[in-house]
Amino acid sequence: MAEYIKYVDVTKCDGCRACMVACKNWNDLPAEPEEFQGSVQSHAKVTANTWNVLSFIEHEDSKGNLDYLFRHSSCFHCSEAACVKVCPEEAMHYTDFGTVDVNSDKCVGCGYCVQNCPFDVVQLATYKDKNGKEYKKAQKCTMCVDRLEEGMQPACVTTCHTDAMEFGTKEEMLKKAEKRLSEIKDKYPNAMIYNPEGVGGTHTVYVLAEKPSVYGLPEKPKVPTSAVVWKDYAQPIGKMMLGATSMALVGAFVSNKLFNKEGKGHEEDGGGSHE
Amino acid sequence: MKKSVVSKEYQKLQKDIIQLQEQWKTSLDPDCVRPNLDKAAMEAGVPVTALAAIDFDISLFLQWIEDIGGLLSKYQPEIETSMKSIKSLLDEETAKRWIDEAFAFNYIYFASFAEEHELDGWIPQFVAETVLRPYLQLTAAKVQGEIQSGVHGAGCPVCGEPVRLAQLEGEGKKVLHCPRCSAHWNDRRVACSHCGNNDHETVKILTIEGESAAQIQICEECKGYTKIIDTRQYIVKPTPAMLDLNTIHLDFVAQEHGYKSAGETKQTN
Repeated sequence: MAEYIKYVDVTKCDGCRACMVACKNWNDLPAEPEEFQGSVQSHAKVTANTWNVLSFIEHEDSKGNLDYLFRHSSCFHCSEAACVKVCPEEAMHYTDFGTVDVNSDKCVGCGYCVQNCPFDVVQLATYKDKNGKEYKKAQKCTMCVDRLEEGMQPACVTTCHTDAMEFGTKEEMLKKAEKRLSEIKDKYPNAMIYNPEGVGGTHTVYVLAEKPSVYGLPEKPKVPTSAVVWKDYAQPIGKMMLGATSMALVGAFVSNKLFNKEGKGHEEDGGGSHE
Repeated sequence: MKKSVVSKEYQKLQKDIIQLQEQWKTSLDPDCVRPNLDKAAMEAGVPVTALAAIDFDISLFLQWIEDIGGLLSKYQPEIETSMKSIKSLLDEETAKRWIDEAFAFNYIYFASFAEEHELDGWIPQFVAETVLRPYLQLTAAKVQGEIQSGVHGAGCPVCGEPVRLAQLEGEGKKVLHCPRCSAHWNDRRVACSHCGNNDHETVKILTIEGESAAQIQICEECKGYTKIIDTRQYIVKPTPAMLDLNTIHLDFVAQEHGYKSAGETKQTN
């Protein structure tokens, strides 16, 4: 099957937020009343029940002028996704379209995907069963895989009235991104195509008007080494030694040791200094 | 959101048939269809194919029947015997008759042909219609530039097929598409595509839960319905024939509510 990607040209976005509404609507996601963010932006970032957030960034360009930058933000659907790599239950998986989806039936809510996503996209949603017991499941943008399977584009794309978003074959969309970049280079000298290699490229490819950091994106995201270690080393041993029920506990211990986005507690050299 | 009630296997068969028809169409000499664009006749609702001169090559026609027989037998081996007997029955005279009757959509002729020769009822008309379509499609392709609108109540301006499928295009323009010959023409968004009624009180929309891209437009005046599909939501636009097939559940819904694919023209004295 051809690989498909979502192309987002942020320079065409006018911040209407219809993509957010379409996403909530299609995926039946509950509303989340939020505190005032101090700007027009409604949510600080994506959450377990808001998979798509329009970020509004006030940016001072190189000439000292104020520029208002918009970005449709949701899951990047990395080709080498850290969340897929670390998931002990194979709940995070690649679809036939190359995108990343969560199988809720398999998800045990361990949260490794949350800790390892370089884009801070995956979040845990809390549910209550009929006995009042709480449980958690990872949630994030699915690229509307249920629509893709019916030959239809993701809901956010179909609703975009400025054509800032398009969905098509990887080859075609990347070509479009290159063309657009050459058109906007004069106006935005820092413009670039954001399709980071560190995660094997993504299935949401942006044409950004400014450097990624301006949009709150990592300049060079990569699959954390700890994620690789977990899947290839710690997890098979863990599974072999322990029953599935105790996995979460031990998992939490291992993950505290191995994973940490801030870099604290990550014992890299293991030796320390002895002066 | 699995919507289509048509099995994947049947969808695949239809895709193969459409592909075969496309091959046949491109193999035709474009000059074998000579449309006569009579403006007055078109304004009166006479379909273009009714006035076009079409040279049918009977040997090609028979070859196509063999091709389609081969394809059908791949999916249903027991059809092979029926296809063999059809081949032996089709002399030049009968082939010509088949073309004429398929044009007129004369199901009574084909039903009695099937009965007379102990064939499954659906086979003769299905085969005749399948091999006729490339000629209709070629005609439509030739005159498409001249077809802007149709006459309400007259069906497809090229082949006369009753209207039942519209697509939303561009900024929401309603474009009628013929699943038989692939011609397309514009219609007003709020008008009934059968009788032209544009009273918002009597032209209504039926929506189906879970259907994000499809609606059924119904008319209380003529009791006709049109499926309106927002194909802008599709990744790759399906052919009108596939779209028509995959939305057959909408036809069921509309017909169960008492609407018809050909609206009734009111008699006025």
